[in-house]
Amino acid sequence: MTQAEIKLCSLLLQEHFGEIVEKIGTYLIRTGTQPLRMIVNDTGLSLDQVKKALCVLIQHNLVTYQLQKRGFVEYEAQCKRVLRILRYPRYIYTAKTLYNDTGELIVEELLLNGKMTMSAVVRKVADRLTETMEDGKTMDYADVSSTFVRLADTHFVQRCPLVPEAAETPEVPPPPAPTLVINEKDMYAVPKLNLVGKGKRRRSCDEDENHEHKAKKHKKDGEDAEPPPDDGIYWQVNIDRFHQHFRDQGIVSAVANRMDQTSSEIVRTMLRMSEVTTSSSAPYTQPLSSNEIFRSLPAGYNIVKQVLDQYLTLLADDPLEFVGKSGDSGGGMYTVICTDLHKALASLATATLESIVEERFGSRCARIFRLLLRKKHLEQKQVEDFAMIPAKEAKDMLYKMLSENFVSLQEIPKTPDHAPSRTFYLYTVNILSSARMLLHRCYKSVANLIERRQYETKENKRLLEKSQRVEAILASMQATGAEDVQLQEIEEMITAPERQQLENLKRNVNKIDASENQVDETIFVLESFIESTLKKP
Amino acid sequence: MAGSGRGRGRAAFTFNIEAIGFAKGASLPEVVCKPPPLFPSTDNKPVPLKTGEGEDYMLALKQDLRGTMKKMPYFLAVEEDREAIERYSKKYLEIEKERAAWTPDWRRLPREMKPSKKTKKAGTKPKKAKSSELKSNLDVLKKIEELEKKDEEEEKSEDEKDKTKDKEGEDDEEAEEPEEYDEEEHEEENDYISSYFEDGDDFGAGSDDNMDEATY
Repeated sequence: MTQAEIKLCSLLLQEHFGEIVEKIGTYLIRTGTQPLRMIVNDTGLSLDQVKKALCVLIQHNLVTYQLQKRGFVEYEAQCKRVLRILRYPRYIYTAKTLYNDTGELIVEELLLNGKMTMSAVVRKVADRLTETMEDGKTMDYADVSSTFVRLADTHFVQRCPLVPEAAETPEVPPPPAPTLVINEKDMYAVPKLNLVGKGKRRRSCDEDENHEHKAKKHKKDGEDAEPPPDDGIYWQVNIDRFHQHFRDQGIVSAVANRMDQTSSEIVRTMLRMSEVTTSSSAPYTQPLSSNEIFRSLPAGYNIVKQVLDQYLTLLADDPLEFVGKSGDSGGGMYTVICTDLHKALASLATATLESIVEERFGSRCARIFRLLLRKKHLEQKQVEDFAMIPAKEAKDMLYKMLSENFVSLQEIPKTPDHAPSRTFYLYTVNILSSARMLLHRCYKSVANLIERRQYETKENKRLLEKSQRVEAILASMQATGAEDVQLQEIEEMITAPERQQLENLKRNVNKIDASENQVDETIFVLESFIESTLKKP
Repeated sequence: MAGSGRGRGRAAFTFNIEAIGFAKGASLPEVVCKPPPLFPSTDNKPVPLKTGEGEDYMLALKQDLRGTMKKMPYFLAVEEDREAIERYSKKYLEIEKERAAWTPDWRRLPREMKPSKKTKKAGTKPKKAKSSELKSNLDVLKKIEELEKKDEEEEKSEDEKDKTKDKEGEDDEEAEEPEEYDEEEHEEENDYISSYFEDGDDFGAGSDDNMDEATY
């Protein structure tokens, strides 16, 4: 784990889980797998605090444990998973676009709590939705359950590994730690629950209160007496599936930018058809025949089969190579098409690199960069000639990019003694190493952004607290029905320059937050690309 | 690289300098003597941020998420010192609702995660019945002292004694503090009472353990 990653993880943990969890999480990320005693000794916290923090981290899937052969348990932090905390808003927003408010709240509850049983999720989401609805209306559990089932069917939520059924004899003591197992087939199987009920509001009339009191008592007794029917079956958000979705979105928008709307729709259809059948790390989607694609096109696009075939041919011939023709079957009548996911990710990453070079160094540097990408290796003189840039400037730009590690030198000696006067020095761009370097830089930027935001908030803490107090006073006075004059007086407690300062603070914090979200998009593209190269055999 | 100039005191390179673009005899760029600045000036300003409905919604989501997570039972905050002065405005600030205590599913966690029952501080009253075990001389002496006091004081000190017994099983350090506190209290009470007898010099000389003898 690089220093930048560790720093970012520690900032994220501190913001979302507090200082104790942050200390322990950072310690585990930095030192690797450790048993409980070591953690207590090295972090200096009390045993009780360490236990609580580890429980929180395990609940949120940020730390895993393993029973070692010698009988003690070791804990390991998942650094990559901690970095995903940055992406939570994107996951929730995606769920909203796909499954409306219900889906959004389900995903949000699962992310906030790490893992939950289905009944608990349904109950909480129904209550939250009922809060926002008009008086008198309530949200039925059945609606929420059906949305949950749809999320499970499309693999956006998955089951957590289960505690194995223990048929232990009394003589054998239970192991110090359960070994959790999960069956591939069961990962998305929704338990048959008969959840009947409606969401409850927090404020309700007396009748409902009596019911609620009874229900609460019953619930408390119920929790001791009868566990819910799906006890022990926990669900978590399937992050890989969301990543697959983001990747598909990226590919579709790239095709739309390069060609036109219709071709992007075709690619989207292809990707949707292979969603559930392709694993997230496969290099190619399943091959699809053009007939299948034709049948699955969305209803609004009534194009003829010939036109579809023409589009497919165009897509297959495109130099971007997103889509590849993997064969003709049936005497040339059918073409089989598949999407080359690795190449698509590589193109996306390359486009990101090019755009970064352009923004950082200028359009001429970008021209040189693209030239090097296309021609792979070039000498200094050749760069000047091909790019049509004067020698002095070309030299200057090349050295600037070299110093920032976007471009590297390849030595080709003519003689065995590597004499500098008899060696070719070729400039080249290594996409993978540039992507890694940029990813590291992105982590550093986000860490800087978070620190700056915390600094800004801390500087103005007094002012923020004052404005919160004033708002609370205003709210309580309005509730008790005060006159406008009095309200005005209270509002004037915050002077105009202070108001200005608050406005500035709010604007800055919003800007920084928005920047964090957008840097995270770049992080996603680069990470997906690097990951796809790692898995290649 | 540049060789030490043997010939006529001029620097000579081992390779043809025209290959990297410097004309013969032209001045070389200056040598860099210090690391690059920490905040270099940027000639190219960054592109403005993306704006749109989606981005605004995600921004609001992010800020909400931050606020919500701070209120969840998973947020373990370091206990800050209570404010010395009770502020009037505290009445108007939203009183933090007691965070619902969260208990994890113990079946899914290693057994060592579960806090052992001894550390529970609550429920000392029911344990009063079991307080007949006396573990050390100190407790015996205390017990004898307490039997002479009023009922309320007896209950209070027995609670503290129970607490000390509970903690003796765990950390010695933690047990020491309430024990010390115990002794202080007893000292004070004895002071108050022993002043009636006006023991004078003999009183301060005795150690804490012998205090019961002083009261006799």
